[in-house]
Amino acid sequence: MAALPRRIIKETQRLMQEPVPGISAVPDESNARYFHVIVTGPEDSPFEGGLFKLELFLPEDYPMSAPKVRFITKIYHPNIDRLGRICLDILKEKWSPALQIRTVLLSIQALLSAPNPDDPLANDVAELWKENESEAIRNAKEWTRRYAMDN
Amino acid sequence: MATSQDADSDMECSDNEDGYYDYNDYYNDEDSDIERIDPTRVDPEYFDYKCLSEEEVERLLNETVESLSNRLIISPSLAKVLLHSQHWNTNEVIHKYKENPQQTLIGARINPPSPPKSILFTSTYLACSVCITTQNIDKFFHLSCAHIFCRECWTTHFEVQISQGISTAISCMAKDCIVLAPEDFVLKHLHHKTSIREKYQHFIFQDYVKAHPELRFCPGPNCSIIIHSSEIKAKRAVCTQCKTIFCFRCGCDYHAPTDCQVIKKWLTKCADDSETANYISAHTKDCPKCHICIEKNGGCNHMQCYNCKHDFCWMCLGDWKSHGSEYYECSRYRENPNIAHESVHAQAREALKKYLHYYERWENHSKSLKLEEQTLEKLRDRINQKVMSGLGTWIDWQYLFTAANLLAKCRYTLQYTYPFAYYMDAGPRKELFEYQQAQLEAEIENLSWKVERAETTDRGDLENQMDIAEKRRTTLLKDFLDV
Repeated sequence: MAALPRRIIKETQRLMQEPVPGISAVPDESNARYFHVIVTGPEDSPFEGGLFKLELFLPEDYPMSAPKVRFITKIYHPNIDRLGRICLDILKEKWSPALQIRTVLLSIQALLSAPNPDDPLANDVAELWKENESEAIRNAKEWTRRYAMDN
Repeated sequence: MATSQDADSDMECSDNEDGYYDYNDYYNDEDSDIERIDPTRVDPEYFDYKCLSEEEVERLLNETVESLSNRLIISPSLAKVLLHSQHWNTNEVIHKYKENPQQTLIGARINPPSPPKSILFTSTYLACSVCITTQNIDKFFHLSCAHIFCRECWTTHFEVQISQGISTAISCMAKDCIVLAPEDFVLKHLHHKTSIREKYQHFIFQDYVKAHPELRFCPGPNCSIIIHSSEIKAKRAVCTQCKTIFCFRCGCDYHAPTDCQVIKKWLTKCADDSETANYISAHTKDCPKCHICIEKNGGCNHMQCYNCKHDFCWMCLGDWKSHGSEYYECSRYRENPNIAHESVHAQAREALKKYLHYYERWENHSKSLKLEEQTLEKLRDRINQKVMSGLGTWIDWQYLFTAANLLAKCRYTLQYTYPFAYYMDAGPRKELFEYQQAQLEAEIENLSWKVERAETTDRGDLENQMDIAEKRRTTLLKDFLDV
């Protein structure tokens, strides 16, 4: 494998030295492009109190291409599907090489605080979120308790 | 005065080199005497277009770019971005630019929405924010937005974008920056990468052609021809290279008299419903007189039973005699006048019946077209034999091919009259349309009958029939082709 670009080394160092509050990202022992990520559910959101595991992979042409990020912990959210894939503009068409791992993870954390049911990925969840928000929030809390707390 | 002028022109004529008279000039002069007739009034399908090669289109685009760049005194590269943003409408660009140059440049994403902060360099070395590598300041480049990145990062950024098929839409690397990278900036950073450079030029050319309303790629497989016409209408274009015939506006199979939206609706409907329709419209029918099973193996709908010699119409199974001279009604769908009072179920059945009526005829003419192609092949063989055995020359038999081609052209239009009629509102206009359609259908079947029996048909008779069929076709298009 080719040497790790300076950019990735720098970003990893900074993530370790100045971690983002509520987010931990640790590179895999055998692959420096693969990160084990844990995001804590934001306060005043239905995900509060939960610890959500994600995986983050930096592709060969990173930072020219966006990192690939996926939730491993099950989560009830209109922009995250049952496979954990995330609908977030900066991971797709709005990606800029000037963005970083930390900005991506912050955006994901912000998405947990502010779900966007008008631009859904998980259709049934988005439907309920629009039609009956309180029931959707109840479901999200229930899923958080069931899947994101006991570890 | 007049006489002296006449004398002058006489002199000019006799002055012509060695008394040689230029016949081209002669005919051109004659032409200019005749009042110019709008060709679309004679032929409703008249379409003025050119088939161009990629090189010719490149030249055409470059001329447009150059003239704009000269008129506005901007670089050709910027002129290109401006033109592309306005669908290659030079006048629109000039108008907008003269009105408000700054806003036009922002709108075309050449300049950022707000002027950038000026960059202050405190040292000759700089760290690129993308690759975090410190390099000499002369290795750094930026667009009008002043976001600076090192040369290598620009190169990789362009490579990644181009490998995803992006060309005209490549933007600056900075977060949320929408400023576009013009062609010369991209090419400058790819000067050492031949294959990616070629890819970029290929993609960007495709983008330009697709955005240009007067240009259309020939939809034929592996054909590189581009059709150019200043008349942006649903007209018939024929590619000179691969012979593909298509609608200039939508790029699909030519579909007059039906318009682009309606034919799309019809084809989608057919794709959804064709299973039922196929099931119902079988490939064989029984002779209405002796009930022997008949498979249709020719294009003509005038059938003659092999068994009992009964002449009948394949579509309506009626006696052919009533089709010939009298009012031909087979193409008309008779709607049930009491349909509004019927149950929902009956209405659904009626809707299906109506659709099937049109679909069967549409499908039948499409099949006939294919069968008549086979007839033409057989005809070619027979004529070949005749010519070989000394019965006339190729030229003598040429009129048969002309007849077969005209038949195909007429039947093609007839096929596309069915979706048109299906979506037409009931009323006098539809009645007129279906009357003309019936007339056309009758003449086409007569022509098909005569073409299939070409050698035994009198040539004059056949040519007369050709003329009638084509006249019917043109009349229908003149009245109903609205593009």
